[in-house]
Amino acid sequence: MKRNECIAMLLAGGQGSRLLALTKSIAKPAVSFGGKYRIIDFSLSNCANSGINTVGVLTQYRPFLLNSYISSGASWDLNSRDGGVFVLPPYETESGGSWYEGTADAIYRNLEFLDLYDPEYVLILSGDHLYRMDYRMMLENHKTKGADLSVSVMQVPWEDASRFGIITADEEGRIVKFTEKPAEPDSNLASMGIYIFNKDILVKALIEDSTDENSDHDFGKNIIPKLLAEEKNLFTYEFSGFWKDVGTIPAYHETSMELLDDDPAFVLDDPEFPFMSNSNIYPPQYIGPNADVKQSLVSNGCSVKGKVLHSVLSTNSSVEEGAFVKDSVLLPGSKVEEGATVIKAILGENAVVKSGCTFGSEEEGAEIALIGNGEVYGEGGQQ
Amino acid sequence: MDKVIGIITANYDTPELETLTKDRTIASLPYCGRYRLIDFPLSNMVNSGIETVGLILPYKYRSIIDHIGIGKEWSLDKKNGGLFILPGSAFGVTSSSKRFLLRDFGRNSVYLRRSPSPYVIVTSANIVCNIDYSKLYNAHLESGADITVVQTTARHDNTYLSTVISENGRVKDIEKSVKKGDKAFIDSFIINRELLVDIIEGYKAVSYSDLFECLKGSYGQFDVRTFDYEGYGKSVFTVDAYFDGNMDSLAYEVDKALFDPKRPILTKEQDSAPTKYGRNCNVKNAVIPAGCKIEGHVENSVLFRNVVIEKGATVKNSIIMQGCTVKSGAVVENAIVDRRNIIDCDTIIKGTAEKKIIIPKKETR
Repeated sequence: MKRNECIAMLLAGGQGSRLLALTKSIAKPAVSFGGKYRIIDFSLSNCANSGINTVGVLTQYRPFLLNSYISSGASWDLNSRDGGVFVLPPYETESGGSWYEGTADAIYRNLEFLDLYDPEYVLILSGDHLYRMDYRMMLENHKTKGADLSVSVMQVPWEDASRFGIITADEEGRIVKFTEKPAEPDSNLASMGIYIFNKDILVKALIEDSTDENSDHDFGKNIIPKLLAEEKNLFTYEFSGFWKDVGTIPAYHETSMELLDDDPAFVLDDPEFPFMSNSNIYPPQYIGPNADVKQSLVSNGCSVKGKVLHSVLSTNSSVEEGAFVKDSVLLPGSKVEEGATVIKAILGENAVVKSGCTFGSEEEGAEIALIGNGEVYGEGGQQ
Repeated sequence: MDKVIGIITANYDTPELETLTKDRTIASLPYCGRYRLIDFPLSNMVNSGIETVGLILPYKYRSIIDHIGIGKEWSLDKKNGGLFILPGSAFGVTSSSKRFLLRDFGRNSVYLRRSPSPYVIVTSANIVCNIDYSKLYNAHLESGADITVVQTTARHDNTYLSTVISENGRVKDIEKSVKKGDKAFIDSFIINRELLVDIIEGYKAVSYSDLFECLKGSYGQFDVRTFDYEGYGKSVFTVDAYFDGNMDSLAYEVDKALFDPKRPILTKEQDSAPTKYGRNCNVKNAVIPAGCKIEGHVENSVLFRNVVIEKGATVKNSIIMQGCTVKSGAVVENAIVDRRNIIDCDTIIKGTAEKKIIIPKKETR
């Protein structure tokens, strides 16, 4: 086996409970986004496009869909002889088993995996962020700076700064202070939850952290402050571009709607750095004789016979004759039946709005209407 | 279906398709927005449970190998069985009466001899349909015939297909060309493998012949039966048939029947983003795959991947293949625009319903 310089560990265990019905039965990284993708596609594609061919995916909450979706990793060209994608759920040992207790604990309990591939560097990622990033640039910066740990950062609006891990760095990019969600931030450089560690430093820190009873075993709360206190070489890597953690329903809806802008901030189709996905092969879109589709994203397998304005139609969703869909996101397999109206809404996977019903409201201040995966709104379902 | 192996004769060629088949086999003709013709027979075989498929190819095989690769999308990338590329006659079969050249089978008799499966389902590559071959197999087993041919009621007169003359399900003869309402042979059949090997051996001297030409006059000697397929079907031998077949998919019922999710037509996977419809676009009655950008007017048309229709452009009754851009103010009607063409601003390309204009592929070879 050829030794890889850098492997990635992708944290994909989060439930994302603020996504409510969308994450009732699946983990957040498995939530559909952008018509044909699942959120984890963006990180996996970034890995593949950055030449990282070994990825450990740490799963925990409702892992089935994620496991089957990732499969052999072939959809992202990650099924290589020297590496591949490995789903790493918590497991039992002779002394018993338990859930991963934190992000650092998840990696600690898979040290065997790290040792097997024995890379020089370990890239730690979150599986629930939307962004396009060439990790090779970050690794290059890490090496140039002679860092033990690099943290990818970006400037955020000051008013949002207290939601992030906030970093203060000198002109060289050397990290002098790291505060998790400060009430009164003194910097607006936010950690994106993307780290490159020298493997030996990481392993030592994780082993020491594992026996610390006061630790939450979390990278932001424990590992980074610990290395900072030990005066290790911590550097920032500044990223400027689109990056988002769609943690809530309003944020999910807003970010989806932004894809429909004439010049969207998040570009889905970049042939030089393509986002790949594990999509079933569906026929092209069927646009009927009375259909009207404007300012929308439509995926394969869709059939549109009604009117669709400013909406995202995911794979295999359908809008039947006389139906009207506006400012909405239809997730894979969802259906708006004849004459139904859907406004400012999110329909979960395989959800149905029955014929003639109105779901959602255009009124100012109205909340985003949401039905979960497989649910039915209207006759026979909720009203 | 582990008792059946498949053969697809993908080396038929004809000048009737003009520039559409200049650099590609008929089997790799782009079809219905994201497919190529070969996807239909290949998907039919794997959807019916056949796990070993041999593909007889002529020399213009670049595009088809590019498309099929090792057969991953059809789950034919296997340790046991899978996809076999079989070399056919170098220049393809151009005679309109020859679909199943004995020489092509003979050259690949190892594929047949090595197989432990007693039956072979053979089909050509240019008849578009969604057929369950396991029903053909069951009928063949039940009747105990030597060969069972698939027939359908012809929707039009067609000089490229043959008529099956039968009595009580027993084939008496197969004759050139069909009239509307006749039973047309749709170039698919099941044959006992050892019989096929024997026929190849026995007719070595006339190996330039088609299998069914050899059987002419011998229908008393062989037990050849019929199997009826009455689902949607389209034979693609001419530009008009190619055009009409694409347009057929604009009818919702045909679209649903041909692309039955229980028997999906599989094709090469692509990583195109969803198609973006602009603020002022106007799209009616169209089949459009992912990866397009549409700002203009599209009506009664089939588009392929990565097609851009700019603001103020009009496309009607046309097929626009992968990678084309129709620029602002251009009008394309009754045309087939092959891959990677850029139709400049304000250009007018108007064919007629009787005579479509073909704009050949623009690609550096």
